[in-house]
Amino acid sequence: MEEIRSSLDNIMARFNDSITHSAPKKLSFDRLSMSFSEDSVTVPKKRRIDSLDTSSANASFNASNTSLNNSFTDPVGPWQTRKLRAELIETKAIVNQLQDQLGQQAKEHRGALALAESKAAALKEQCDYTSSKLIEQEKQLQVIRKREHNARQEANRTIAELAQQKLKYETALSRVEQEKTQLEEDAREVQHCINNELSEYKRMCERAEMELRVTQEELERIRERHDEYKETAANYEQLQLNYEMQQQNLNTANARIKELEYEIQSYADWKEVTKTSQARLLSVPELQSELERLRLHNKQLNSLIGDKLLLEEQVHDYKTRLDREEGARAEAAALQVKLAHVEQELKEWVKIAQDHCLANTLVSPMALRTRIEQLLQDDIVRMAEKSSAALDSKQLQTSVRELEQKCAVYLKNIDDMNVVLKRHKSFRERLQRKLLIVCKERDFYKQLLENFDKDLNMTNASTAEMTNDMQVRYRVEVLERTLTGYKEMCSTLEREMQTMRQQESLNDPPITESGYDGVKRELDTLRMENERLRRRKDELELEMEHRCLRGDFNMGNYKVLHLSENPAAQAYEATKNVVEKLQAEIERLKRRNKKLEEDQEQTQARFNETCSSSNAGGGMTMNFKEFNQLRAELESANGKMKKMKDCFKAASKEFRDVCYMLLGYRIDRVGANSHYRISSMYAESPDDYLSISLNESNCLALLESPYSQTLKPAIDQQLAASNSFPAFFAALTLELFQRATVTIN
Amino acid sequence: MSTAQATKNCITLKGSAQIIVEYLKYGINSILFQRGIYPAENFDNTQQYGLTILMSKDPKITTFLQNVLKQTEEWLSKNMINKISMVITNAHTKEVLECWDFKMQAELGDGDSDGKDPSKQTSSKQLSRIQNEIRDVMRQISATVSYLPLLDCICTFDVMIHTLQNTEIPAQWDETGAVFIQNAQAVQLRSFSTGLHKVDTVVNYKMSS
Repeated sequence: MEEIRSSLDNIMARFNDSITHSAPKKLSFDRLSMSFSEDSVTVPKKRRIDSLDTSSANASFNASNTSLNNSFTDPVGPWQTRKLRAELIETKAIVNQLQDQLGQQAKEHRGALALAESKAAALKEQCDYTSSKLIEQEKQLQVIRKREHNARQEANRTIAELAQQKLKYETALSRVEQEKTQLEEDAREVQHCINNELSEYKRMCERAEMELRVTQEELERIRERHDEYKETAANYEQLQLNYEMQQQNLNTANARIKELEYEIQSYADWKEVTKTSQARLLSVPELQSELERLRLHNKQLNSLIGDKLLLEEQVHDYKTRLDREEGARAEAAALQVKLAHVEQELKEWVKIAQDHCLANTLVSPMALRTRIEQLLQDDIVRMAEKSSAALDSKQLQTSVRELEQKCAVYLKNIDDMNVVLKRHKSFRERLQRKLLIVCKERDFYKQLLENFDKDLNMTNASTAEMTNDMQVRYRVEVLERTLTGYKEMCSTLEREMQTMRQQESLNDPPITESGYDGVKRELDTLRMENERLRRRKDELELEMEHRCLRGDFNMGNYKVLHLSENPAAQAYEATKNVVEKLQAEIERLKRRNKKLEEDQEQTQARFNETCSSSNAGGGMTMNFKEFNQLRAELESANGKMKKMKDCFKAASKEFRDVCYMLLGYRIDRVGANSHYRISSMYAESPDDYLSISLNESNCLALLESPYSQTLKPAIDQQLAASNSFPAFFAALTLELFQRATVTIN
Repeated sequence: MSTAQATKNCITLKGSAQIIVEYLKYGINSILFQRGIYPAENFDNTQQYGLTILMSKDPKITTFLQNVLKQTEEWLSKNMINKISMVITNAHTKEVLECWDFKMQAELGDGDSDGKDPSKQTSSKQLSRIQNEIRDVMRQISATVSYLPLLDCICTFDVMIHTLQNTEIPAQWDETGAVFIQNAQAVQLRSFSTGLHKVDTVVNYKMSS
């Protein structure tokens, strides 16, 4: 085990080396330096050949060996001797094995003998047991036979009893039958008697019936007689009544007669009456019969009257019906007339429709209606156009009026200007006249000056004295200066005068003519103003009238009322609410926005902090970089691991193959509980494997399996004796190998 | 027969008020539908005056109109109303966009009372003739959609009644001011008369400059 472990460690080390060098190398085992490629192929064959040799002849063993190993040049060497020794040991082991086999076979034989003996004893026991059972059953049979006998006897007895009872019952039956016949006879006799009696009774009954009939007939006869008697009695009574009545009548009549007789004395006429009454009294029955006749007649008349009434009712009904019918007829006639009228109207309408409808379209009320609607619409549009046109015309009129006003103003201005112009012209003439005067004056002064000059020159010439020349010149100069001064003074005075005159001319005319002109102008302006205002007033009045017509403007006379709960107010309220709600929401959202912004700032700040702490610009990118790097690392690690797994798998497979080839056993791990399945290279079938488990104390234990059962002697020998798995497996290998080669042979 | 006819064709002031209120009911509903102030699915078809008129089935509107028209009828039967305005306003800005004026003018009628007692005035105008006149106005109202400007905002409406100064204000009623439309254009539609009242229908609308 330790060897295996060390080799495994070695392999792992090498494997790691190979991984670190990342170039798979072919494994080289230090301990198994032999090139197994040759041996692994050749060994079995050699062995087989060896075994052949050994089985054929022990003598040629060495020779064959040498001949087989002819690749080695040295015939007698330490290698050969070692090999021979090994073979010797092997043969010894075989001898031992054979001895063991012999012992085993003897043991088996002994075991078989013992088994057969034990079987014989068991059979004997069984034989005894069966014989004892047979005896018991015979006994039982006898008992049963006895019982049967008894039962038969009892049965016979019971049969006899049964016969006796049968006899008894038969006799009873015959007796009962006799009784029955006797009873029947009695019954017949009784029946006969009864029949006789019955016929007698019948006869009696018939006789009684006859008597009954006779008596009944008699009774009827008596009844008839009784009725007759009754009738006679009634007649008698009636007659008696009549008689009495007549007697009463007679009495009354007698009384009357007496009365009448009394009266006759005074009234002779009553006698006749009494006579007639007597006659009438005598004819009372006649009268009675007549009364009845009359009653019948009355009845008939009544019925006739009823019929007549019915007829009258019917007649009345028919009359009313007739009246109604006549009314209906009149109505119908009126309706017909109306219908004709309406049809005429309809025709007219149709004509109108035809006139108004388009030529090709079907004449129908709908078309007419559309036409009318169209006309109405046109009407409205025209109305709108008319009103707008009216407005426009009004505007134009107002503008024309304004322009006229302006024109008038301009004309007035022109007049004014003309007046001013005239004034200026007159003024100019005056000025010209004044200028002429001034010019004349100036000329006069000039003449005066010239005169003075002449005088001076004359004085100069007259004196003609050069001594006073200078003095005179100086004086002249002074005088000239004074003259120019005067001239200047004069001119300034003239200018002043002119300006004064101009001012006068400017000021004077208004002062002089202002009275009338100013008033006139003012009047004009006022008039114009007045006119303008009047027009404006008219306009406004028109407008007012228009508005009044529309009813817009004279609100002073009216109150405007409306229901406080109107849709408009409700709508305003609703919009107000909505606006408030929306504003509240805006406020809320603003707050939220602010908060979010703050949060964002905070997070940004924090983020920036983290970025600055990680001294890398762009934290997010850094994070992404890191993330990507980590991902790449993960991928490379995964790839490495996969590669390692592959490598390890390949190495383990190789190792297992090598182990299998070298040691002849394939070891498979089964499940997770450190169970191992060991199958030999030379196994006869794939089911031939051994199960071994490794328990906690690192001890191997062979588990029982169908195959291990067949290897019991070897297990006993190798494992139980020396507790060595390698030895056991080696022995097994050898055995299997031998067996395999034998089978091939 | 002659007396029956005379009573048949007699319209009193109350009857006239009823006819006008009926016209107002159908007219206002028709305007509400035609001008699209409320969605079309809130309206139902009704036959009146030989026309199909769409009436609102919103309970709020119907109750409002019922209340308003009840009062209107009462006032009309006393000849206290000058004008009834249906004002269409923008629900958000409260701007007046349209004003439908129904102007009432009292007429003397042709009854026997000679105008001495206004409550006993009568008119012998045929009801069918009045209804035909009303029908023409209704048609015109429907036709106004072709030239009235589009109301492209959420709109609402109110009914204002111009009564005499001496009328008492009933409960749930308020006094308000007359409305004015800036840059207004007015179109007068046809008028109809019951013989006791003449009703002019005028639509004032804001010119979309």
